[in-house]
Amino acid sequence: MTSKTVNQIALALVVLMALVLPLFVRSATYLHILILVYLYAYLTTSWNLVGGFAGVLPLGHSAFIGIGAYTSTILSLQYGISPWIGMLAGGVLATAAGVLIGLPTFKMRGAYFALATIAFGEGIRVMVENIDNLGPFNLNGPRGLQIPPLDTGLANFMFADKEPYYYIILVMLMGVIGLTYWISRSKLGYALNAGGEEPEAAMALGVNVARAKLIAMAMSSFLTALAGTFYAQLTLYIHPKSIISLDLSFEIAFIALIGGRGSIAGPVLGALLLRPVSDFSRIYFGATLPGMHLIIFGTVLVLVMIFQPRGIQEPLTRAYQYMINRFLGKTTRES
Amino acid sequence: MDQGKRNTLRMNWTIVVLLATAMIFGVGSTLQAADTVVRIGNIIPLSGPSASVGQQGKNAREMAVEEINAAGGIKSLGGAKLEMIYADSESKPEKGVAEAERLINTEKVNLLTGCWNSAVTYPTTAVAERYGVPFIVPVSVSDKITEQGFKTVFRIAAKDSWWTRDQFAFLKDMQAEFGVELKTVAFVYENGDWGKGFAEQWKKLAQNAGYKVVLDEPYPSTATDLSPVVQKIRRARPDVLLLVSNAADAILLTNTLAEYKVKVKAIIGSGGGHADPSFLKAAGQNARFIFDIVEWETDVNKPGVPEINAKFNSKYGYNLAGESVDAYAAVYVIADALERAGSLDPVKIREALATTNLQSGPGMIVSYDAIEFDANGQNKHAALSIVQINDIGKGLERITVWPKSARRAGYTPVFPMPQK
Amino acid sequence: MIYILEDAINGILMGSIYGLTALGLTVIFGVLKVINFAHGSLLMVGMYVAYWSIQLTGLHPYIALIFVVPVMFLFGYYLQDIVIKPIFKAEKDVREPITVIIVTTGIWYILDNLTLLIFGPQYRTIADNPLRGGMLEVGEMLISIPKLWGFVTAILTALIIYIFFQKTRIGRAIRATSLDREAASLMGINQYKVYNIAFGIGTAVAGVAAVTLVPFYNVFPTVGVLFDIKGFIIVVLGGLGSIGGAILGGIIIGLIESVAPQFMTATWTEAIVYGLFLLVLFVKPSGLFGVKYDW
Repeated sequence: MTSKTVNQIALALVVLMALVLPLFVRSATYLHILILVYLYAYLTTSWNLVGGFAGVLPLGHSAFIGIGAYTSTILSLQYGISPWIGMLAGGVLATAAGVLIGLPTFKMRGAYFALATIAFGEGIRVMVENIDNLGPFNLNGPRGLQIPPLDTGLANFMFADKEPYYYIILVMLMGVIGLTYWISRSKLGYALNAGGEEPEAAMALGVNVARAKLIAMAMSSFLTALAGTFYAQLTLYIHPKSIISLDLSFEIAFIALIGGRGSIAGPVLGALLLRPVSDFSRIYFGATLPGMHLIIFGTVLVLVMIFQPRGIQEPLTRAYQYMINRFLGKTTRES
Repeated sequence: MDQGKRNTLRMNWTIVVLLATAMIFGVGSTLQAADTVVRIGNIIPLSGPSASVGQQGKNAREMAVEEINAAGGIKSLGGAKLEMIYADSESKPEKGVAEAERLINTEKVNLLTGCWNSAVTYPTTAVAERYGVPFIVPVSVSDKITEQGFKTVFRIAAKDSWWTRDQFAFLKDMQAEFGVELKTVAFVYENGDWGKGFAEQWKKLAQNAGYKVVLDEPYPSTATDLSPVVQKIRRARPDVLLLVSNAADAILLTNTLAEYKVKVKAIIGSGGGHADPSFLKAAGQNARFIFDIVEWETDVNKPGVPEINAKFNSKYGYNLAGESVDAYAAVYVIADALERAGSLDPVKIREALATTNLQSGPGMIVSYDAIEFDANGQNKHAALSIVQINDIGKGLERITVWPKSARRAGYTPVFPMPQK
Repeated sequence: MIYILEDAINGILMGSIYGLTALGLTVIFGVLKVINFAHGSLLMVGMYVAYWSIQLTGLHPYIALIFVVPVMFLFGYYLQDIVIKPIFKAEKDVREPITVIIVTTGIWYILDNLTLLIFGPQYRTIADNPLRGGMLEVGEMLISIPKLWGFVTAILTALIIYIFFQKTRIGRAIRATSLDREAASLMGINQYKVYNIAFGIGTAVAGVAAVTLVPFYNVFPTVGVLFDIKGFIIVVLGGLGSIGGAILGGIIIGLIESVAPQFMTATWTEAIVYGLFLLVLFVKPSGLFGVKYDW
């Protein structure tokens, strides 16, 4: 048995576990928490396409979530269009926005790029907050849009129980992880990798780094917008401060970074471990020590960055590999 | 770097984590609450920009619960005690929703209260409605909250269309009482759900009353400098200035208005920031003569008010205010409904709440005479009063001036504001 | 159009204070090459230190500088030394240590919420201070006296910092390190000591800015957040590492915030500021006075 076989079995097991989990976890609260964890894993993995593979630090991704959420919500509220179609429309709009922003900003150095994305994100938020009506579309400014509970069903993207939401986000998550894996082994992935490390050398070799980054940005913004629609259909209420917020953009980026950007499962791991930490510390401390959960989150950020700047996926990887090697009886470590 | 291997590496650890979490959850969800306790979940902002008012609401609830439990709890439930569970909404709707789900499903609360920020209250009440858990809203004024057709939502405070209506009624009465002519109004409000909601209604009311709107100015609540806004007010020269502000901007605005010596005949706040205990301290003499509309004030002419307020003040260091009073009353409303329901069945509790007609008891320190909910869950009798901030010898205080029947004895409002 | 003049003056005064808050940031940004997201929190800490030192001693707010500046310097120095230096050491080969950004964000969260925990969410102001509410009347215009003080302080501080960097040995060492840290260390300059000092200076300047704000502003745990993003916009606008650029950038922002509302609602000025920011980034990323560094 090779380690490759072991990994394939492990992967199959995990997928199976995830698929049957709702049968064991009956509580709606915990399903809801899991759904949010998967959602964040999805968001961080999508973010990773730009933030990890392309090597820059985008801190305005919540704008894409907002574009997705608002597009599908407005289309469904005002024109009765199914949120699924609205989802795709939102994705397209977000892609356009992403590429538009990417064109001038990818030329910038790291810190400037980060600031530009912040300005972009906040700029969109301010605009949405101030605009009540954009042409025929009702944005409702800071008051937000509420989605009235319609008939439940797949067509309306609305369900009474948590299970359907769970499966939808699980499928989305698996899709985006698969996509990341595929990209990492493709020419695009290598172009991005090279462009991130030594852009001049890569370009000298004929790699079109700029185009690669734009493609990555297009994909990332599209996928992120899909999550916006999902979120809108899950919570049935969106407003600018919660959906297009700096805090959210930061959270996505930081979870991916703590997990380990540039790796495939780093962002997922980050979400799996950090979201529950953040939620549970709010639950346990929120009432007695206000703000404590943020102190904890901040401390985790600081400690992980000091001791494991490549993310927690590094030590976890090594431990796993060690275990697998022991299991297979090998004496030499594979790198 | 072998991506494939790395990928499945992580996946394996994912299994472990998922398994572990599932086990913890499974175990956790088997814990049940005991029968002799009524569990009430409270979703309020304990951190973030509204932390100050969230804390006040929490303290008021605590005090009410202590009193009720000390008096023997809910007698029709065999002396069951009330147990409060607090959840921090951070003023964020998604946190409120998550906490509602958790309180209902894991903590198995029998009732919910919250959330102060209207944006949090909308989706959170939707969650409660889905599960059939009664939800008492002490103070979240947006009209929409009791207009969603929900059966489980009950709100104690007046809705914002009543607030704006009363502000204009007050102006009309003041005009008559003091023979002052008011022609122009200015609206300056925080650029959020609350501010915009009020502004929409003000526009209509001003039109009906024949006032000319010389300024309609939303401003970002987090602005670092409000001089530009104040300059606009100064140059528009309104007779009346209507404000909707949160605490920090209320303070900044008041101080800046004083600095620029802006002279208007009347300034009317809308509760919120103007009613925050920090406001009086921080704005000091600059706040003198400002009017504010509130659900309640410490000099309300109701039995027991001074004692209860003194008790609260000695415990927590500041006076009761609108939010805390409504929170306090909410707990008593719950207790009263529980007594009548005699059961923890949510349908029965809801029924009992719907038929509430609370007129006495420590909870009724509100400025009006009864708490009774209409078919939409809105407290029919919720009334508001207008106070004026003034110093009549004992330091700055808020003095009830309107309706005239509620006016503090011996005090004549200063109208218009003295033009220094 | 005396209105516009009055607004412009207010914009310049307030803007210079913004510039002062961004000055510390540009020093840190220019030398360490990292975005210090904790800067707003450092400003907040400065405000609390200033607030308490004035409350407890009853001194004139600007005398509190004597106390605030050294305290803030040491705070920044040791913050860099203990918390941030390890990351620099670990990422020695990386040109732009992104992990530092995360660490500073963590510090931001910790500082803000620790303050919330310890001091509570109330808004504090210094009620009786000699600067409060003073207005200078020039014809029909009213000019805020505390802001005038702030303006003078901002210019003075900028000058002092400039002279420091140009004329003193330490200042030149810092500049050398910021231009080429390897070459500088070859010259015998201890890179990390330089970073510590730079951070300390940046934090001390934030302390000065705090003192100028306290007489007329509110003090509460999340006050720093408001100035944080604005600070970055100003730094980019003015040019990374440029002292004059920070003050001028601040003034530009101040002017926009004060004059634009006369033509539109105040809420749109935020959008204009962000739009301008993006414009500068696209057209001249090195800012108004910045030099294109190759780092």
